[in-house]
Amino acid sequence: MHNYEQKEAVRIGFYICHCGHNIASIVDVKAVAEYVKSLPGVVVSCEYKYMCSDPGQELIQKDIHEHSLNRIIVASCSPLLHEHTFRTAVEKGGLNPYYFQMVNIREDVSWVHTDAKAATEKSKDLARAAVQRVFHHKALETKHVKIHPDVLIVGGGIAGIHAALTLANSGKKVFLVERQPTIGGHMAMFDKTFPTLDCAACILTPKMSQVKNHPNITLWTYSEVTKVDGYVGNYKITIKRKPRYINEELCVGCMDCIEKCVYKEGKTPDEFNVGLSKRKPVYIPFPQATPQIVLIDPEACIEFKSGRCKKTCVEACDRKAIDFNQKEEMKEIEVGTIILATGYHTFDAKRVPFYGYGKYPNVYTSLEVERLVNASGPTGGELILRDGRHPKTVGIIHCVGSRDKNTNRWCSRTCCMYSLKLAHLLKEHTEAEVYNFYIDIRAAGKSYEEFYDKLLDENVHFIRGRVAEVSDWAVRSSEEGKLIIRAEDTMIGIVRRIPVDMVVLAVGMEPQSDSQDVRRLFNISCSTEGFFLERHPKLAPVDTFTDGIFIAGACQGPKDIPDSVAQAGAAAAQALTLIDTGEIELEPNTAFVVQDDCSGCRTCLTICPYNAISRDEAKQKAFINEALCKGCGTCVAACPSGAIKQNLFEDEMIFSEINGLLENTPVVCC
Amino acid sequence: MQLPTQKSVQQDEAPQKIEKMKHVVRRIKFESELDLDFGERVAEKAYGQKLLSCIQCGTCSATCPLAHYMDYTPRKIIAMTREGFKEEVLNSLTIWLCASCYSCYVQCPRQIHITDVMYALKREAIQLGFHPKRLPIPILAQEFYKRVLKDGRNTESWLLISLYLRTNPFKMLKESILGLKLFLRGRLTIGKEHVKRRDQIHAILEHKKGGQPL
Repeated sequence: MHNYEQKEAVRIGFYICHCGHNIASIVDVKAVAEYVKSLPGVVVSCEYKYMCSDPGQELIQKDIHEHSLNRIIVASCSPLLHEHTFRTAVEKGGLNPYYFQMVNIREDVSWVHTDAKAATEKSKDLARAAVQRVFHHKALETKHVKIHPDVLIVGGGIAGIHAALTLANSGKKVFLVERQPTIGGHMAMFDKTFPTLDCAACILTPKMSQVKNHPNITLWTYSEVTKVDGYVGNYKITIKRKPRYINEELCVGCMDCIEKCVYKEGKTPDEFNVGLSKRKPVYIPFPQATPQIVLIDPEACIEFKSGRCKKTCVEACDRKAIDFNQKEEMKEIEVGTIILATGYHTFDAKRVPFYGYGKYPNVYTSLEVERLVNASGPTGGELILRDGRHPKTVGIIHCVGSRDKNTNRWCSRTCCMYSLKLAHLLKEHTEAEVYNFYIDIRAAGKSYEEFYDKLLDENVHFIRGRVAEVSDWAVRSSEEGKLIIRAEDTMIGIVRRIPVDMVVLAVGMEPQSDSQDVRRLFNISCSTEGFFLERHPKLAPVDTFTDGIFIAGACQGPKDIPDSVAQAGAAAAQALTLIDTGEIELEPNTAFVVQDDCSGCRTCLTICPYNAISRDEAKQKAFINEALCKGCGTCVAACPSGAIKQNLFEDEMIFSEINGLLENTPVVCC
Repeated sequence: MQLPTQKSVQQDEAPQKIEKMKHVVRRIKFESELDLDFGERVAEKAYGQKLLSCIQCGTCSATCPLAHYMDYTPRKIIAMTREGFKEEVLNSLTIWLCASCYSCYVQCPRQIHITDVMYALKREAIQLGFHPKRLPIPILAQEFYKRVLKDGRNTESWLLISLYLRTNPFKMLKESILGLKLFLRGRLTIGKEHVKRRDQIHAILEHKKGGQPL
């Protein structure tokens, strides 16, 4: 396959493109073509207005036949744009596509230079470098890898659920892995959704039960991915299933055990109600939890702590589903593609001490208020403050942990809209006066501005100004017993003190606290903020830099429900594209080990970022898995015995290119 | 080396600054100082304008031909009215400078009838006695109304006389030559003009203001 002998004579065809005026207005293309004609090995050298056009491509194919060309060089734009076009044209002409070389004289020359003469000389140098390089080119084969049709989805929030259903409905097998005991994510905790004020549970729970009952979906809740091996199309995943201490096959979710637990009242803060209520050691997160299976919290259960519990739960369970000896279980699966929908984390309001969260009981976060106004929440939907009062005035503070260089710089995108929604719900539940303190109202979305209009007409107060502090320091008798919000009303131009009964902090969205670990596990990248990085912010928003791994939802950046769902659909479509292609083509720019030169020193093994190199212990040599190799060249540079070479970037190619580039440069003695 | 000019300037300004410091005003607003129903009351007087639906874009201020002379721009008047800054609003010059050109009304993206709000504020200010004693604009309005209520028609000469008497009688002397010229050309009359059925005009106007004193 790697043919080191060059037997037939090299016959080069050189084509220089005008690209309309883009190149020809600066570079004297005619002079470059004339010059290249004089170089050794060049048989054809000509200029053409648009090489990427059909006639341009046909010109190459015609010349290959007429002049028996075996190397093609095109001097035009960036290879990023048209390398594929020309390689295909060369292949159609009957030549191996890797006998083609591209010279960039647009982005590298005509667009960045103003001196026409120097630009023409630079183009000649670049062309000469390519001419010398192609002598060493070899015929390479593109490799194909089969794609395993199963898909792993990590995260069972609305994005994960939507992606799973989309794929499952198209007949693909899906493994949905969720860390929590139930799927549903943050959306399950919300009361209503903006701007339509649909009940969140009413639109989410049907999808949750569809996931549970779909024959193509394997749902593993209370589970985590611990190991990811392999490459696009052939991933091997290890999943840890945490023990629920309940036999999932037997439990029907009758909740008799919860009722009969020795604890008459719950003692542990309930995660689902953000700590606003207490739950028992044996519990089910919320009434519509999916799967409808209880679990035991070993941290709180007396049996686990002392072993001296009466075990009334075991007696109550007539299906004998409770198993205190359950152990965690490891599952190994093979999938072809992965969708990460790991979601977000809400900003910890204690990080902004001026707003008094955790200090004053009547300061709430938005997520807590979602639970408070919800009919299945800790108060059954009645808005009772922590001190037992009903609020008459409420202040909603926007941008808590957003647009602030002290905490998070980004705009969390959803807070404006959910604050408007909460303002509406609070007014509806309590008829309180509601004040919104905002920096800007960002209501950019379908029907969002109209929702803002509606709130304005509902007589909700909007005060433009970022709140400086929330305190209980009354300086007037009318402020006694209230929380005082201090902010500049920038519309009027005066500092105001507004006493309220309840403060709602519109906390922003952050990456999950373990997003860096997940990133390393799946070998993808994060942006500076810690959200997963997409391959291209505009044109590849759900792809990652690792083939076969896609991202959806708020793990990529703050997003509301419609955007998360849209992205989940896009990620599912990208996965389907791979699966339905059946196999994928890999660039042959991979590295290979010249077995005779390898000393088996293991240097390359540790530095390969893609785990593509393994060591054949019998032969004491390194071996590179071409399907895993991304052609980064790290091992090539690191190999102490020079035994690793990289296709398309072999030493003789690079050195001859450098030689060609510098041939006409006068040597300056110092 | 001394810099005499700079020093002298400092010495000259020092007493002024000290004087200024004596008159520093407190710039904070407590909710207890506000009239929380003020916005609603004004909105009702302005035939139900939704002041809280204003998005504070400032179009009204930008279109207003008199905004240059106002102490608060129309946008700020709306913001202060709805938040209950009664004293500031009713003491402002803005409401009296409004010439009712309706430019703001035409361009407002929230379709708030700002001119009506200004009229409502003027009425509120007159009722509560919030304007400077001799400010001609509210007095002109009051005198005009009185005249129309009485005769069903306005007689300009009488209106001017009562206006000058209540604002600045000396100015009447100054303007008397102009008045004479207007009289000679038949633009001003001495006799009072009136309609035939004054009682009916009276009834209409009394009905319109809903029994409230203007």
